[in-house]
Formats: sequence, structure tokens, C-alpha cells
Amino acid sequence: MNCHDSFYRTVAPTSLSRRWFLQQCGVGLGSIALGQLLGEHAAASLPHRAADPLLPKQPHFEPKAKNVIFLFMAGAPSHLELFDNKPQLTKFDGTAPPAELLEGYRAAFINPDSKLLGPRFKYAKHGKSGAELSELLPHLSEVVDDIAIVKSMVTDAFNHAPAQILMNTGSQQFGKPSLGAWSLYGLGSECRDLPGFVVFSSGKKGPSGGNSNWGSGFLPTVYQGVPFRSAGDPVLFLSNPPGVDDTLQRDSLDTLKQLNQMRLEVKGDPEIATRINSYEVAYRMQSSAPELIDLSQESQATLDMYGVEPGKPSFAKNCLLARRLVERGVRFVELFHESWDQHGNLVKDLKKNCADTDRSAAALIKDLKQRGLLDDTLVIWGGEFGRTPMVQGDGNDGRDHHPNAFTMWLAGGGIKPGITLGESDDLGFNVTQDPVNVRDLHATILHLLGFDHSRISFPFQGLDQRLTGVLPSGVVQKLLK
Amino acid sequence: MSETYSNHHQNYGPTFYSYWIGLLSWAIVLLVPISGRTDEVDFNREVRPILSKACFHCHGPDAENREADLRLDTEEGLLGEHAAIVPGKPEDSSVMARITSSDPDERMPPADSGEALSSEEVALIQRWIEAGAKWSQHWAFVPPRRPELPTTADPSWNRNPIDAFVQKQLEESSLRPSPEVDRTTLLRRLSLDLIGLPPTPSEVDAFLADQKEGAYQRQVNRLLASPHYGEHWGKLWLDAARYADSDGFEKDLPRNVWFYRDWVIHSLNADLPYDQFIIDQIAGDLLPNATQDQRVATGFLRNSMVNEEGGIDPEQFRMEAMFDRMDAVGTGILGLTVRCSQCHSHKFDPITQKAYYQMFAFLNNCNESQIAVYGPEQQQQRDDVLKAVRQKENELQQAHPDWAEQMAQWEKETLEQPQPEWVSAELEFDDTSAGGQKFILQADGSYLASGYSPIKSRPRMLVKTDLAQVTAIRYEVLPDPNLPLGGPGRSLSGTFALTEFEVVTSPANDITKQTKIDIAQATADYSQSKMPLEEAYDDNSKKDRFTGPIEMAIDRDGTTAWGINSGPGRRNQARKAVFNLAKPIELTSDTHLSIYLSHRHGGSNGNERQANGVGRFRISLTADPNATADPLPLEVRNILSVPGNERTEQQRQQVFSYWRTTVSEWQKQNQQIEELWKQHPEGTSQLVVSERTERRKTYLLERGDFLSRRDEVSAGVPDFMNALSGEGVPPRLAFAKWLVARDSPTTARAIANRVWQAYFGIGIVRTTSDLGSQGEPPSHLHLLDWLAVELMDHGWSLKHLHRQIVNSATYRQSSDVSEELASRDPDNRLLARGPRFRVRAETVRDIALHASGLINLTIGGPSVYPPSPEILYKPPISYGTKSWKYRANDDSYRRAMYTFMFRSVPYPTLETFDAPKGESACVRRSRSNTPLQALTILNEPLFMECAKALALLAVREGGEDDNQRLTFAFRQCVARLPTAAESKILLGLLQRHTKRFAQQEEVESWKLAVVDPTQTPELPAGTTPAELAAWTAVSRVLLNLDETICKE
Repeated sequence: MNCHDSFYRTVAPTSLSRRWFLQQCGVGLGSIALGQLLGEHAAASLPHRAADPLLPKQPHFEPKAKNVIFLFMAGAPSHLELFDNKPQLTKFDGTAPPAELLEGYRAAFINPDSKLLGPRFKYAKHGKSGAELSELLPHLSEVVDDIAIVKSMVTDAFNHAPAQILMNTGSQQFGKPSLGAWSLYGLGSECRDLPGFVVFSSGKKGPSGGNSNWGSGFLPTVYQGVPFRSAGDPVLFLSNPPGVDDTLQRDSLDTLKQLNQMRLEVKGDPEIATRINSYEVAYRMQSSAPELIDLSQESQATLDMYGVEPGKPSFAKNCLLARRLVERGVRFVELFHESWDQHGNLVKDLKKNCADTDRSAAALIKDLKQRGLLDDTLVIWGGEFGRTPMVQGDGNDGRDHHPNAFTMWLAGGGIKPGITLGESDDLGFNVTQDPVNVRDLHATILHLLGFDHSRISFPFQGLDQRLTGVLPSGVVQKLLK
Repeated sequence: MSETYSNHHQNYGPTFYSYWIGLLSWAIVLLVPISGRTDEVDFNREVRPILSKACFHCHGPDAENREADLRLDTEEGLLGEHAAIVPGKPEDSSVMARITSSDPDERMPPADSGEALSSEEVALIQRWIEAGAKWSQHWAFVPPRRPELPTTADPSWNRNPIDAFVQKQLEESSLRPSPEVDRTTLLRRLSLDLIGLPPTPSEVDAFLADQKEGAYQRQVNRLLASPHYGEHWGKLWLDAARYADSDGFEKDLPRNVWFYRDWVIHSLNADLPYDQFIIDQIAGDLLPNATQDQRVATGFLRNSMVNEEGGIDPEQFRMEAMFDRMDAVGTGILGLTVRCSQCHSHKFDPITQKAYYQMFAFLNNCNESQIAVYGPEQQQQRDDVLKAVRQKENELQQAHPDWAEQMAQWEKETLEQPQPEWVSAELEFDDTSAGGQKFILQADGSYLASGYSPIKSRPRMLVKTDLAQVTAIRYEVLPDPNLPLGGPGRSLSGTFALTEFEVVTSPANDITKQTKIDIAQATADYSQSKMPLEEAYDDNSKKDRFTGPIEMAIDRDGTTAWGINSGPGRRNQARKAVFNLAKPIELTSDTHLSIYLSHRHGGSNGNERQANGVGRFRISLTADPNATADPLPLEVRNILSVPGNERTEQQRQQVFSYWRTTVSEWQKQNQQIEELWKQHPEGTSQLVVSERTERRKTYLLERGDFLSRRDEVSAGVPDFMNALSGEGVPPRLAFAKWLVARDSPTTARAIANRVWQAYFGIGIVRTTSDLGSQGEPPSHLHLLDWLAVELMDHGWSLKHLHRQIVNSATYRQSSDVSEELASRDPDNRLLARGPRFRVRAETVRDIALHASGLINLTIGGPSVYPPSPEILYKPPISYGTKSWKYRANDDSYRRAMYTFMFRSVPYPTLETFDAPKGESACVRRSRSNTPLQALTILNEPLFMECAKALALLAVREGGEDDNQRLTFAFRQCVARLPTAAESKILLGLLQRHTKRFAQQEEVESWKLAVVDPTQTPELPAGTTPAELAAWTAVSRVLLNLDETICKE
């Protein structure tokens, strides 16, 4: 929300000596990022101030995951058609749900006492772990021993925008920092030529919560996600304007740098030095970002594994780009794929969605694994809530929003592979074993990144604000390696 | 790579070790010397922050979570009987024992709290106890009083009292103020500060040439009188008012609130006293004879986000909006973190959860209204119409002196006519067919549609009745203050179109076995003539669609609908229709009656709010065989039941206005009046609040959950604040007045602090949203109090406050910083130099537009759509398709504050430079410095257009030779003259690229130099396209200079 009180508490302009700066950072700044220099010196001279908010930092303890890729299935996929097989639901198909289940239950669109609807797809067991997956997920079934399936997710919200914001920021109220922003705040960025938190969007539309899903909330704005596109200019305003070739661009930037340096000598304001650096990084980004989305160096086998069709924007392409970003040290990548809101057309749309995403999500796991990246990359798959065991609409082909039980999966980055955690009841209505609420999930993610979720905080409005807030939450130990 | 750094310091973590050490060192550096005796500990500035941080969480204001019944936030708790502190005797004070104990079970704060006291902090507490443990109330909870001016060593430096406070502190830190800044920089600083625009070179020249006494004063006067002052400072307020042009959440529909934005601008320009400014925004509608402006001002409360996602519970999101309003009042007006108490009593400030909901109760009785508003010309036009109609009616009365008797006779006959007996029916809605909207039962048996407003829907409702037989069904549509322009529909103009009214019966156990019931005839009290459906509702079906008389609702034709559009000024009123069934229905326990309201006349894009459904309606049944729609409007019928001598003048007039239409001899005059109404302006809509007639109850909500109601609470204010007065005024108005009462401890300080922050980059209290005990202690408490009192003593005039600040020597210092000063005071808290920082997002854009001469300085009006990447407004980037109505015209060059603000898709240039997006009240923006900002000024099309325009301006108006032209362009950007070295560097760039472009095809030059290479401008004789291209490159560098986007 670009707004907070506390920015300067932690990232104030440094009090670097001008002379030092001019000596170290004259023309030709070179490959050493200015911020790192600033940081180290600032650390020595002024222990209470950080110079560069993106400087890599050590977390509370040794992290298991360095990077995160969150495949956010916005709209809320049906756990009942994909992961959580319920023979009893088939048996009671067409009957009213037990009245005691519905006590106090609120549904978004349907009358809660709408009739039950059995799962519309077949299930089979896969891999050594014997995890049950729907026939819609043939590719995921190949990597089922690499992932941990959580069938006992619970959330507090059942409308899209608040639930998506909750899943991404820990709060239903807008204006809180996102998971990616917290990660960047805590760990800084290893990659200086690309943003540390990159967002892609595919599917039918953008996420319901809009850009607040990757906002920085009360954290400094440098931590917010930067939307990338997989075609054209990956970042807005990246290309030189018409008529500006590289010679002119470089010459202009050199001229600018000289003038800014002269001003720095007069004014002595270290922010001018930061500005000089910003322009140098921008220049480097002009080549590093197009290089990122240029898939010509990827083998045909890799493209096929993901299902990437050159020139066509897709979730598959975004998955491949996520791997490339992680390779370059980008801390947090979030892929939004909003198309899972099956109030109707459950069968047809789920087939399409899985055709669009199953292969590439599985390929991402395989690819990260074969490159040795899966160990320190945490991959998360899931939506903002589940779907009702009750039907929506007359055609027996839709389900409403359901917060009481849904499924997500996680892989890599310290997650115990090949397990299934938690259970829902016979109808897939409530969680009966090992409930994991959104705060627990967040605590677990932070844990894997090396943080005690109760200790990573930021002062705002008089409080040390945390991603997991004040309600009870804890690391899901059973998910850890 | 950064281990050393990290081990020394983590800038996250519960104790905020770094921050507190930092704070403490400030306390030592800044604050102790004020007293002049370094051994005396100041409780408020030094001890309270430590207690607040380390102790209040468990031993503070929150009674529910208080441990050991020990309270350390009050004098009584600290020093009273059985208290933890014995003044003068640290050894007898249990607090000392606990904070120094080596036993982990004894030691406070406990390890698991994540808090810890440093040895310096422990020593401070010990010294404080030794010195007698003098307690005082938290500084911000004591109303400000005018402090005595300190005496300073160099009174000649002081231009006004501000400087005495600043100099005093500098002296104590052995620092000297910086010299006065040069005049050019001073004028640029002043201009950016007061109007958000840099001075033109001719304004600079005029100032430099003005050697007479008071030259600076004249500039201050000129700028404070500029209409752009209200824009610049208005934007600051709009941040706190969380202003945006869309609803937020998923649908993020556009909304009309720019009248509010313009009200803010005009109010500041008129220097509306700040107390009145606040009162209008909280309760302007409740003031006697509230003006349109005062009603518009309440848009402040309505700037909350609105969730119209399908399937929501509207009450849940009404409460979310209420919480947001409370936060806006706390953050934006009081400077207190009121929000904390939404879920539990405040841990640090004495705001109990009950007090939170008591304040909440003042605001909890509003309708969420949209009213029609009119600009000055439209207002005139509207007044003319109303006057002319009235005059026509007067003429009729004068021409027919017996009109009163005639009307009485008509009234008598009308009342004698028997009316069918109508029984209003309870309805049970089928949720799926409702299309995501919720119908909420009202006290009069009607239903109000809430939540999502579908573009097309066909809600089905089961009719519950005791009647055994039904011959006719009455469908009344009713206005409601919560509907657009008062309803009765949910279209943008408050109308609706009923495509079809369908009646079915079915067996009780199977709704799918439906029997359609034929409707023999329909009558209505309003018959709209057949007209093509308005363009806004085009649904891409390529079918001609119409609205018209009531018959269109029973013609089984999906392209026609009953419409109630009787034109602006009159369309938002109750209407009714009666549907006579071909055969009476006999209702048995096994026969269910259901109705479908088919609304097929909405548009194609739900993201544009092209809904056209009903807003509030009531269904009634009768067994009367001859029922028809009562031709009398509901309101007139109601007036007739009021005895003649008890009617108001307005009611009498209303009856006459209806009656005259029934008089057949007056057809001509009636027609003339109809023609007059057609002149009524459409107006614009504006979100406002209005007060409900029936008071809504307010409950304490456990954890802020709207479903967890606890005790009912009455309206009230926290007892540690100023007392509420205002007997006999409506509660919300009393609350508004309480907020800005002279004895409010925080209101004047909060705004003075924010104004200070805008000038110097950091507030006197750095935490501008929190003056409470967790806020950072003020760097210059007496200065803050002086500013607050000065503001109040001068009629809450903000312009007076600005004048004091910009006239101070403090403000007029040079911002050059020496190495020594930079390291001693990196953030310039001591103010030994002038401010220097990057201007805010809107000003970054405005400077470029201004420097290039492109800027369009029109003030106010609907928000505009400068060029923006289209892709942002389409899926999968945006949730839905949004219309970004870019037109290549002057609107692109309007000041950035007029850019349409979609909350979910912020305008990229502004977002990149840290503009907030209206999610919640913002009183302090980030100020980041990032590569994306560099890319934006370098490459974004409108910045590039500015570079081109500046180049053209330079070659056309800058002078004959390159030196002159460069000086011209340079001054356009930074006001000052370039140094010889700077000129040399820039001319080098110019020459290198003039040469390069000259060697290329001419079209290459044009590509860079103009927006459209097919439309080339005329160049001055001797200037080549290659030169213009090179000048464009130079201009682009100038616009990107750090200095260009900084206030120095």
C-alpha cells in the first residue's frame, strides 16, 4: 500500500562519508552492487541502520529453502475432484447433507442444504507413497513421491478477494505485506539485476484480490512483487523508446551519471548515490530481463516437458520462467492462474484447467529436481479455499465456495516428500485430522526460509506486526523433512 | 556474503533491537540536553517508551490480558499503594528486582515475550527511580499549551519562534544552522512545497530581480493564493482519506467520487478552517441547512472499499468499511492507532475495546448513499427548472382561483374510491437464481437488493401467504437511500428495467414441475413511452432492445422491458404495477406460488456496473377481482391520509403537482411543465453518507468478528481524551466536533506534525500515524506544541501554519550537507540544514509535464486517463476488463493527481514512485529509490513525450545557439543555471549525437524527436531534425537528473 510509518527506522539514508563514496563509487561502478558496499560499511560504522533494504541477510536459523515458487490456483480448485477422494460422497450423491454439519455454516451462493454431489472423476493410487490422485492429474502422479499433499487445509474466508488476500498476506484486510514481501524483507535478494519478487499471471483473468496479493503493505515498497509478462517487454517500460539505440542509451546514462555525481559532490546527499546505482541496475535489467524470457537456449526436451509452445503465453511458460528466475537467485516467484471457480461447468472446466496446468506443474518439480534446485526451492500449489460437497446449479455440475476443508501440496525446500498429511471427513466437508490453517502454512513457509514466525516482525502502528498475526499458529512439523 | 553485517544487526525481530537502540541513542543525543542537566531522566521521553515496549503488553491498559493485576501504564499502578516502585529507592522497588534478576523465572520481561531490556535501559530506569520516579501523563494525551520560547545564543538568526526552538536544540548539540539557501533554490523549494510545481524561469527571474524588502514574502503570498496550492496539499489529505476512483476488492468497479476530491481542493484553497474541514467530512450532512458541498464532504467516510463480489454477506463488508472508517479517523485525524482496539483493548494506549465500539457507534448509523450532485452551471440550470415549474403551477393557481376547492373535491372522491385489499407477502429467495445478490427484508415488508449487482439475473422467489385465492399481484418498487441516486433500481441512475414478470405454480415438493400462470393484464402508475435501451446497456447481442410501458413486462418478449425513466430530477421515486392473473390461483398446502423477476436488460460488462435490476421492492397479493394499479404516486397517497391542516407546504404542493396532471383542461399547461423538466441537468453522482431514521444498534464485536456480537454499547469517547459536549446535536455531529475540540490532545498536533513532515521529510514525531505511547518521542516537543497551538489560535488556518514554516530561518537553510553533519545527523532530525528529498509520485510526473510545457493546469473535474499500457486493464493481469478511456488529447497532460485511480490496477508510474492506492488511510508514504523508477522516467511514453516537447521548446524558444538552448532546457528542469562543467558534459552529448543522427536517414531523427514521425513540426531556420533528435536525448537526461525530481 506504499504507506507506512516505519520505513526510515530500518532503511534510512546512510551517513556515508562523501569522500569515501566518491573514492569507491566513481565512474564505472563496476559489478559490485553499490548497496552491498553501502551495507557493509554502514554495518561497521552505524550498527543500527541498514543501507540497502535488499541486501542479503541471514535469517534466524539455517534455512531449508532459499527460494519459493508459489503456484497460486486462484478461484479455488475443487479438492473433491482432484485430491480428496470421497466414496461416501458418491454413495450419498443426490441426498441432503446431514443437518448437524450445516449448523452455523454460511455458503456464498447456494442454500447450504443443497444436495450432495459425488466426485465427478476417478481416482487411483500412485508412486511408492500410494497417494491417491484424480485421473485429471496424470503428470502430477509421476512426481507424487516428491510432493507432500495436505488434505486438511482450513481457511477463515469464503469470498474470493478476502480469501486470496488472506492466503497471500495472512489477513483478510487489504494493505498487509504479502508472503513474497516478507520473504524479501527477511532475506533480501541474491539477484541484483532482476527484482527479488516476481509475479506472473495466466488463466482466465487476474486474481480477485488484484495487486494487493503481491503488495508490500506497511513494509517498504522495495519489497513488493513486480509483475512480469512472458512475452514482449517482461517489465513495463523496459525497452528503450523508439529512436534510442544502445549507443545513445549508454551515452545518455553515462552523461546522467556524471551530472548526478557532480551534484553529489555539491550536496553530499547519499540518496544521489543510490539513484546513480538505480540507473545502473536499470540498465543491466534491460538486458537481464529479456535474457530471462528468451527461451531459445532451452532444449526442445525441456520445452516439451513443460508443454511450452513458443510465442504463446501460458501457465507452462510461466512455470519454466519460474525455474529460470530461481536459477538467477530471485527469492520469490508467484504464478497466479485464476480459472478454478467452478460454480458450473465443473467437469469441462476442470478438464481444461488440468490440461493447462498439470503437465507444467509436474515438469517444474522434475526440472528443479534434475538441476539440483528442488532441495532449496520450496514449491507450493493451491488456491484460496475448497469447494462444497454440495452441488450448485441444476445441472449437477458445479460447486460453491468452501473454507472448511481443502487440499494443497508442497514440495522441495525442506518438505518431507511422498507424504499425505491430514484428512477430511467422509464427505470432504470438515477436517478431521491434522488441520492446517493459513497461519500454520505461513509459519511453516517462514520456518523453511529460516525464520521463527513469531519473531520476524515489522513495527507499524505501534505494534510489531507479523505475517501470522496474533491468533494461534505453528509450524506443521509433520511436513518437515 | 553479509554475515558480518547480519551478526551485528538484524533489522527484523521482535525486540527491534536496532530500532530501540537507535531510539535510545536519539533520546540521549537529542532529548537529554533539552533539560540542560544530563543526569535528570525525563519520564515521558525516556522511561515511558521503555515501559511501553517491554511491559505494557502484559501490564498495560488491556485489563483482560493483564498479568498479576499489575499495571505500569498509570501513575496509580506504578507508584500507588502496593506499587512496584518506591520513589528514590530502587533497592526497594520490585520492578528493579525483577528486571535485574538472574533467575529466568523471575526476570522481566520474560524470555518468551521476545522482549529484553538493555543494560542502558535498566540503568535509565534505576536513575529515574533514584531521582524520585516522577510520573507524568503521556505527552500526547495532555492538550497542547503554548510553550515559552527558549532563549537562544544567536537571536538574530531567528526569523520566527520556530527558529528559537530549533536553534536551542542545535546549540545543545553544538551544531550551527546552515547558511540561507540561494534564492533560486529557495524559490524552487518553496514552489514545490506550496503548489507542487517548479517555478518557471521567468518566475525565478522576477524573484531575483525583486530586490525590494519583502520579495520572499510576495512569493509566499503568490503561491499561497495560487489555486494549485489546494491541489498539492489536497493530495496529501486525499492519501489520509484513502481516496481512489474505484471500489476495490475483486470487481473494483469505477465509482464517482471526484466531487469529493474537488471539494478538498477548493476547501484548502479557500483556507476552510481545519476544524470545519473535519466537521464537514464527518457530519456535514447533519449541519443545519447542509449545502451540497457539506454533503459531498461526507464522501470522506465513503472512501472505504466496497466488495461487490458475488455471494458475499453485505453486512460483513459493511463492517469492514466501518473498521476502515474508524482507522481513517484514528490515523487521519487523531493520529492514534485506534484500529488496535477493534479486536481487543489496546495494549499500549488506554483505548479499551469498549471505547472503540463506543466511537464506532457514532458512525454506525449511516446509509451508504449516492446522491446527484451538480456543478455550478448545472446547479443554476436545475434551480431555473424548479423555479419555472413552480411558476407555471402558480400561474395555474392564479388563473383558477377555485383550484383549492376543486382539488379538495378531487381528494374527497379519490378517498371514497375503494382500494383493493393488499396483503404483502413474505418471500423466500432461491439463492442460485439471485445471481450473487442478497435480498434483505426491510421493516415495511419490502426487500432491498444488496451485495453484488448482476448485469442480468432472473431471481426466483417463493411467495408465502395465508391467502387461499390470488387474483392479482402488486409489484411496488421503492426508493431507498442506499441505492444509486435513491433508487428504486440499481442502475447507475437508480432505475431498472423489468424484462418480464413471471408467475408460476408448482407442487410443494418439486419446484421443477412448474405451471406457468397467464397474466391477463398489467397496469402501472407510470407509463414510460417506448424508447430504445440506453447505449450503456448494450450487451453485444445486436438486438434492438427497448424499455417502455408496463405491458412490456408481460409480453414474453426478451427485448422489451417495463421502464421507469421519467428523466433527470424525477426518475428516482416509488412506482407500482399490478398484474391481473388470467384465472385466480387457488393456493393449497400443496400448491406453491413463485415469481420470477426477469432482468435481461443489463449490459455486457459487469466490470463497468451496467446492471439494470431492481433495488427495493415489495410484493403484495389480493383476491379482489378488479384490482388495478393505484394511479396516485405512493407519496401522494400517503399525504392524503394526513389531515389537511397538518400537511406541510411541501406536501400541499406535492398533492397539487399530481392533481394538476389529472385535470384534463390543463393538458396544455401540463405539457409545458413536462417540457420544462426536460431541461433538468443530469448531474453527477457522489458517494456520501446520510443518517438513518431508525438507529442501528452497536455491539462490541469479539475479535472484530461481525458474527460475534457481545454487549450492546452506546456512543461515547475514551475517557482519557477530551470530554464530549454538544448536547442536542445529532450524535455523529457531536463526535465530529469532539474530534476538533480545542482541548483535543492529538488532533492539532497530528495535522501540524504531518504538515511539518511534508516540508522536512520526517515529522517532529516520526510515527505520524501514532502519537500514542508506542509512537516515537518527538524530536522537538515544544515546537510541535507551538505549531499546534498557533494553528488553533489562528482559526485553524492551515495557510497560517504554512506561512510560519516557510518564513522560518530553519526552512530557508541550504540543504548542502557536510560530511560531519551527515554522519552526526543523517536524517536531519536536528534541522541544522534544509530539507532535500525526492518529491512525491505525482510531483515527479508534474515536474516533467511542467518542464516540457505540456502541462494542462485545469483544476478539478472527472478523473482522466493518460496513456497507460492497455494490457494492465485486461485479464489475466486485471481480474476483469476495465475501461481505460485514453484519448490522445490534453487530458494526458493534466496534473498527475487527476489520474483515474483503480485500486486493483494502480497507474504504474505513480505506483512505482510510491503513491498509495487507497487501501487504507496513509499519512506517510514510502520514499523508495529503485531501478523501476529509473526505467519509468527513461522509457515511459509520457515521460518520453515530455523529453521531445522540451527539446522542441528549447530549439524554438531557447535562443540562437546551443549554449542558450541548453541553459533554457536546464532551467526548465531545475531552475538554476548549469555550471560550465555541466554544460560541457551536456553539450558533448548533444554534439556526439547530432553528428550520429546527421549520418543516418532523416526518419531516424524524427523517430526519436516526435511522437508521430508522419507529423513533423516546423523547425526554426538552421535547426536540423538531427539536432532536434540530439536535443531530445539531452532533454531526456535532464528529466532524469536526480536534482530534477528532488526538492533541494
